Amino acid sequence: MRPFRFAAFTVVRAWQGFWRNAMMSLAATATVVLMLVLLSGLFIVLGGLDSGLRFIESKVGVTARLIDDLPQAELDVLLADIRALPGVRKVEYVSPEVALERLREAYREQGLTLDLGGAQITLYASVEVALTDPNFAGSVVEALTGRPEVELITTRQVDYEKLLGIIGAIRTVGIAALVLVGLTVLFMIVNMIRIAVYSRSGEIEIMRLVGASDSFIRWPFILEGILCGFIGAVVTIILVAIVWEPIQPIMVRVFQMPTAVSSQFLAVLSAVVLGVGLGVGAIGSWISVRANLSSAT
Amino acid sequence: MTGILQRPYVARPAAAEPVISMVDVGMTYPNGKVALVDVNVSIPAGDFVFLVGPSGAGKSTFIRLLIREQLATSGRVVVAGRDLATMRRGQVPGLRRRIGIVFQDFRLLPAKTVFENVAFALEVTGATSAEIRERVPRLLSLVGLHEHDEHLPAQLSGGEQQRTAIARALVHDPAMLIADEPTGNLDPVTSWDLIQLLIQINAMGTTVLMATHNQEIVNAMRRRVLALEHGTLVRDESSAAYEREY
Repeated sequence: MRPFRFAAFTVVRAWQGFWRNAMMSLAATATVVLMLVLLSGLFIVLGGLDSGLRFIESKVGVTARLIDDLPQAELDVLLADIRALPGVRKVEYVSPEVALERLREAYREQGLTLDLGGAQITLYASVEVALTDPNFAGSVVEALTGRPEVELITTRQVDYEKLLGIIGAIRTVGIAALVLVGLTVLFMIVNMIRIAVYSRSGEIEIMRLVGASDSFIRWPFILEGILCGFIGAVVTIILVAIVWEPIQPIMVRVFQMPTAVSSQFLAVLSAVVLGVGLGVGAIGSWISVRANLSSAT
Repeated sequence: MTGILQRPYVARPAAAEPVISMVDVGMTYPNGKVALVDVNVSIPAGDFVFLVGPSGAGKSTFIRLLIREQLATSGRVVVAGRDLATMRRGQVPGLRRRIGIVFQDFRLLPAKTVFENVAFALEVTGATSAEIRERVPRLLSLVGLHEHDEHLPAQLSGGEQQRTAIARALVHDPAMLIADEPTGNLDPVTSWDLIQLLIQINAMGTTVLMATHNQEIVNAMRRRVLALEHGTLVRDESSAAYEREY
């Protein structure tokens, strides 16, 4: 077999075949686009939520508000005890002065100025405990509960667990929807190729009789399915690229957290979309060709 | 490539190697219908053989076995030196390039011109454009259609369509040409024109096996006749006539 002749023949025949049954081909391509848009949406939402999760993870720690005027010696003991707890990455004492400066900084970041009308305020001193893993929050809280130096304990573990639950639910529903749409796409491509095989049954019979090899007979149909997946993937990538920038602030607004994902993510997503499109097209057409051309002897 | 187009006219050797050999061949379809029973045939290279018999006698099955569209359920079929039962699937296209076949209904592609119909058989077997440009016009000249190469099948007479089909069957320079009722859709004059062409092809060294109901042609030609009835080979005679009304 001459590879170039075979490749040229296969590509030309696949292209002709795609447009010969244009309505069916375009319908199958539209379902590929639908599936890949769904896949992209799921990837973007989950990617954004993962990004938000990492942000929360970094913030999940335990903050212990201290009683007023805690003697230095007792503070040192407390800090040493906390440092000895498992899962503690960093312990930081935040004095009332530092707390006030942070408050002023928070105002400044929003373009405001903290105006106390000349009054002197004293904020609570606290100890901020950073964790190696958010799952240690419970044991740290337990260790601090009841200690006389500690007045109030706060943590963002609940937010973290809530977000984990949301991500899990979205992933489950999304994957289930993807599987359903994926099966629909396979069905469409299988039918598209089946119709193509029937509409060209005369040609196929002649090809067999004049000694065309199985590759010459089958590959144009398989490539036709791959072409369907490829066109669907390209359309999807264009759609995603168009909506990529506008959806970033929407994501932040909806999920109330910095969900922005890197532009490298878009490249990875495009590769995944292309791979899935080509894969579904190839699998669908392969199934159809095997079922409808298997009687060739 | 030495092919039919290059070969000079030569007289057929008296005892050539068989191009077709059937030994005790039987064929029973999965539904139980018996199509062939213990058929023994040997056709030497360069022979011109008529295959006759009433409808349902097994002629089509006989032909399908030769092109390996079906496998015999018993016995041995050897074509061009190859045992079809032991042939791997990947070798079947090679066998079919050694056998040209034409049918009563021509089986041309209606949207392709005469040239494209013939070229298609080369194209789908990986021939280069140069090979196609070189071979197709010569084959169309051989069958007398060189001036009709741009015509679509619908613009041709029945005889011209059958000639196109013959040109297509010859593109790979087959050792054997099988013609399944080639004159079935043609008037008597056109039928004789076509027979002349088959004789010419046979004279160039290609074995011809022609299944037919045309008594006049069989009687006039006085060639070897294989007669099938109910799947059994009831007659195998050289220089024979059409003895029964099929």
